Amino acid sequence: MRSPTLSRIPKSEKSLFSYLFALLFAVAFVDGWRRAEVNPLVFFDAENRGNLWKFISGMFPPDLSSDFLSLMIRPALETIQISVMGTIIAIAIGFPLGILGTRTFSIGGILNEADIQGSPLRRTWRFSAYFAARGLLSLFRSIPEFVWAFMFVRAVGLGPFSGVLAIAVAYGGMLGKVYSEIFEAANERPLEALQSTGASKLQVFIYGWFPQVLPNFVSYTLYRWECAVRASAVLGLVGAGGLGQQIEISMRMFNFHEVLTLLGILFVMVAAVDYISAKVRAML
Amino acid sequence: MRERVAMAYQYRLEKVGKVFGRRQIALARIDFVVQRGEKVALIGPSGAGKTSLFRILNCTLRPSSGKLWINGDEIESLHGRRLREVRRKIGTIYQQHNLVPRLKVIHNVLSGRLGRWSAFRSLASLMRPLEVELAWSALKQVGIEEKIFTRTDELSGGQQQRVAIARVLVQDPEVILADEPVSSVDPSLAASIVNLLIDIGRDTHKTLLMNLHSVDLALAYFPRVIGIKNGVALFDLSPDKIDDRLLEDLYSGHLPPSDQEKVAHAESNALAYP
Ligand SMILES: Nc1ncnc2c1ncn2[C@@H]1O[C@H](COP(=O)(O)OP(=O)(O)OP(=O)(O)O)[C@@H](O)[C@H]1O
Ligand SMILES: [Mg+2]
Repeated sequence: MRSPTLSRIPKSEKSLFSYLFALLFAVAFVDGWRRAEVNPLVFFDAENRGNLWKFISGMFPPDLSSDFLSLMIRPALETIQISVMGTIIAIAIGFPLGILGTRTFSIGGILNEADIQGSPLRRTWRFSAYFAARGLLSLFRSIPEFVWAFMFVRAVGLGPFSGVLAIAVAYGGMLGKVYSEIFEAANERPLEALQSTGASKLQVFIYGWFPQVLPNFVSYTLYRWECAVRASAVLGLVGAGGLGQQIEISMRMFNFHEVLTLLGILFVMVAAVDYISAKVRAML
Repeated sequence: MRERVAMAYQYRLEKVGKVFGRRQIALARIDFVVQRGEKVALIGPSGAGKTSLFRILNCTLRPSSGKLWINGDEIESLHGRRLREVRRKIGTIYQQHNLVPRLKVIHNVLSGRLGRWSAFRSLASLMRPLEVELAWSALKQVGIEEKIFTRTDELSGGQQQRVAIARVLVQDPEVILADEPVSSVDPSLAASIVNLLIDIGRDTHKTLLMNLHSVDLALAYFPRVIGIKNGVALFDLSPDKIDDRLLEDLYSGHLPPSDQEKVAHAESNALAYP
């Protein structure tokens, strides 16, 4: 079966793929530079420099009057609430779809070999579930949350709920995709052992899969929540509530010093969320 | 009449082969019958196909060729719930333990109950362990009951191996497949664990199949020994008929374990949880 000679060491195949990939990358970079009109020189152009300066100097000093600040408490809280609700619903969407969209869970690998082989009906059923889940996730995340918000504002009206829905759907797609990659990376040996005790797929998931990937799962979800805080600010620009809506109003009124205050509030919020999630991660 | 005879078989293998990918032949052609309650040791050089055989016998892998009956059921026809029921009655102790590292010992032991529990009960037990006494007595049998609430990845290799054995005890199957169950413990403990498994098998009429690298243990404790090499059964005899020449054949053409291989073996064990 195997030759006992030690002198013949099997060579690992060197594929053409890596060279092709490098070439492709080079072409994409050069082409991208040209088409995206990348031009660092714009910053040296006198007129552009003037505009930039006007915008930046207009921001100072930031509006720190207690009147303005107290008015902004509600939108700031609203932004946090949008991001929390949006992320929770996104988990509810992404988690089940992510599980179904995991190849080793649905269709491949050691956990499916015995169950699928010789049963075309099961195979068809599993493949459909897998591709349906993958397809939905792609659809959800290929449309930017900004565009989702635009559509939800038309559908359910101006206000924070549109923002929640936009984050829920777009982030549901992103979470689900990454969850499936995280699940895929789990060590299959313990899963095989669990399955061999007669456990169902769901039980194998509860006992073997989820505990293995829990730290990654939590830290990626928290990271997405951070992004959601920022995103919910942007979504306000299309009328989906929160701080963004205030930023948009101040911009339209050329009240740049208010804009700076709002950006400051946003910065503090993101930093706070970052701090909280670092604490949670350290607990794991 | 023929049916009744067939039912007394625990396992019946007919020309069972297993090929991984296109050409990695793990099992060439295996034929044997194991009666219910029988105790069989399998020995053979590294890479002979013993683990692959066990993974077929516990319904994880499907044979690429040949036929396999378990308790009268042809396994090709088993899917879904019926497949799980057959698996529940077969307990496997894996060569590399295959425990969930981040779970506490008790949950790894109680995972032997999953075949009997509903999904809801399983989840509830993760929050607050059910059937603690059962897990405790299983761990006591292998002598590590004091580790019951320790995280599994904090245990030594030999302790993990015993957790894996406790898991099978809790599963209480009709068949025990033990793949190198004593590879990570010291020799005296090894003998007592082999003894324990044989005793349990005798007292509760379980079928016991054990892969062993230690020929001495196999010959000393088992009434039937199968030698596997290159994916075929070289012999299938009672220990008194196995002489040095047979053993030499079994292990010949295979390099004696050099230091290099010992290192590789140690590494592969360490890699069980990368
Ligand atoms: N999943 C797999 N994919 C490809 N080849 C495999 C796989 N599992 C096992 N093999 C190959 O099949 C052959 C038999 O492996 P197996 O693990 O059954 O041997 P073994 O008798 O258990 O060896 P050991 O005594 O070292 O545990 C080996 O050559 C191995 O490389
Ligand atoms: Mg093996």
